[in-house]
Amino acid sequence: MLIIPAIDILGGKCVRLLRGDFENSTVYSDDPVSVARDWERQGAPMLHVVDLDGAKSGKPANFELILKIVRAVGIPIEVGGGVRDLATLQKYLDSGARRVVLGTGAVNDEDFLKTALKKFGAEKIVVAVEIKNGKIATEGWQKSSRVQFDDFLLELKKLGVDTILFTDVSRDGTLTAPNFETAEGLVRSGFTVIASGGISDAQSISRLASIGANAAILGTALYEKKITLRDALAAANSNELTKRIIPCLDVTDGKVVKGVRFEDLKDAGDPVALGKKYSEEGADELVFLDITASKDNRQTLFNVVKDVAKNIFIPFTVGGGLQNIDDIRTALLLGADKVSLNTSAIKNPDLISEAAAAFGEQCVVVAMDVKKIGDKYKVFKKGGSVETELEAIAWAKEAVRRGAGEILLTSMDRDGTKLGYDLDITRAISEAVSVPVIASGGAGSLEDFKTVLTTGKADAALAASLFHYEESSVGKVKKYLSANNVPVRL
Amino acid sequence: MRIGVIDYGASNIESIGNALMHLRQEFELIEKPDSLERFDKFILPGVGAAGSAMEHLRESGFSEVIPKIKVPVLGLCLGLQLFAEYSEENDTSCLSIIPGKVRRFSASGLKVPHIGWNRVKITRESPLTSGIADGSYFYFVHGYYLNSMDFAVGVADYGIRFPAIIKKANFYAAQFHPEKSGELGLQILRNFCELC
Repeated sequence: MLIIPAIDILGGKCVRLLRGDFENSTVYSDDPVSVARDWERQGAPMLHVVDLDGAKSGKPANFELILKIVRAVGIPIEVGGGVRDLATLQKYLDSGARRVVLGTGAVNDEDFLKTALKKFGAEKIVVAVEIKNGKIATEGWQKSSRVQFDDFLLELKKLGVDTILFTDVSRDGTLTAPNFETAEGLVRSGFTVIASGGISDAQSISRLASIGANAAILGTALYEKKITLRDALAAANSNELTKRIIPCLDVTDGKVVKGVRFEDLKDAGDPVALGKKYSEEGADELVFLDITASKDNRQTLFNVVKDVAKNIFIPFTVGGGLQNIDDIRTALLLGADKVSLNTSAIKNPDLISEAAAAFGEQCVVVAMDVKKIGDKYKVFKKGGSVETELEAIAWAKEAVRRGAGEILLTSMDRDGTKLGYDLDITRAISEAVSVPVIASGGAGSLEDFKTVLTTGKADAALAASLFHYEESSVGKVKKYLSANNVPVRL
Repeated sequence: MRIGVIDYGASNIESIGNALMHLRQEFELIEKPDSLERFDKFILPGVGAAGSAMEHLRESGFSEVIPKIKVPVLGLCLGLQLFAEYSEENDTSCLSIIPGKVRRFSASGLKVPHIGWNRVKITRESPLTSGIADGSYFYFVHGYYLNSMDFAVGVADYGIRFPAIIKKANFYAAQFHPEKSGELGLQILRNFCELC
């Protein structure tokens, strides 16, 4: 869901009205252009600019100022207020506004709306549905029109309206709570819904997102600092995509083995049986790594892939010893969803690009084993035994530039220690690349998972020994995360 | 009941086959659009890029045939996107079965590709989602989304709201991977085989 900060302009200033009442306005800034720039800098994906003078008089009164805003920022601008004829609509769209909000004009003049939709397309037109006590409010919300809400919606539907900006005027500027029921009803009727009015906290935003609203406009809550834009953006997006918990199974000779830092390997049984067990406990994905990574072992690894693919219906990644594009193709054709490239990608970075071009970025995971040397993190190859010249963040960026769809980051310093993930490098890489990052190495406590997925900004957390030795379980980890407001699939 | 799985080199074809086998459904991989009347239903799988996928479909002749199929067709992931008019990925014209264009995710602060388990809101009832609770999680892996809600029966939110499940007449599609979404994903496939 998009979070759209509102810039309401009255007499050239950025203001907020309480419940749409012109007598009850608060000035937040004398310079709406710098306010717009500020929201853009803070990560707003779009701005909602309203000419309140225009809304009141029925004629645009702040056109030059709005034009300045459109030119000042690189994000799309939605403009409203006093647009009641095609010429004004055209003028705003020509000036670079992404779309225009029609309120009073649409309620009062059906022909106008019809022509506007036909001429400019449904994606350029937002119809503002402002209701007060179940009725449509008009004239800058001052009078309550007689048009009944439900009839009005039917009309809009017939005319081909797609996007509705919904405001319950009785709640606007009050920081109470949005009218979820009506918003949900609109979503169910098939409209793209922009919610506005009374949205002031993360819970309301999450709820609107889960209802299926396309966007939420925030005004007073942002200006009164009830919520930061950053928190609002997080609330709008986080509850839809979950964080992932990924058990990793080390395989050699077709068997899962358990050991401590590759030593004291013990046979832990059949990969399919263990994979199934993890899958039933709620694992979001599985990773199978051939830790011997030898040529002789490759066929055995492919057999494991085949068995797993036939029996487990969640995504799995296979890695270890995949040398070239043919190995990758074989693994994918046998049913692996992703391949993990480590040493082979360091040796031949073109392999990343080739694999991404042939099979898509989404199935290319670049795994990197990193260790802190001095104040830098260096990349190691061959199962962590050989130091390379590569610096971790630079290599992660390079891998992504070449087409890696995910980074699997293992901290060698933390691996097997149960001291917790290395948050610094995880966060640094997660912020440096545009693709998801899977953190690995160091999981010991339930809290470790939480911190790496929040403070560490990882998209997924991988663990091996913790799950193998049954010191914890996938189910326990996910329940803990859920109880601590980290979104997971339960 | 016999299902034709359209094989144009998509790398998840084995996974689709595995899931159908698990569901004990009879199916066949088909590389050419010949004697299609043998089949009661079709699946158009998809992992990979829109450009090369459409190229394969054009070369094999499937691109002409698929839009005219009258029995149920299920597009999966890229398969859903190929149903659209156009894809920004490789600047490709697609099958034009459903209106809309396929766009790259560009929301600020979100990772692309969209990878992981995302909630799906069921917006309209359809046989495909029979027995699936509203708000269930499915596994998504994609960098592009369809920008039209016209035939959406299920939607997902990732910075922007986009269609997760669509239905237009005999054409069904899912943006996620039912073959990789655990039990609920298998239920979607079972529904397609048994109820659509």
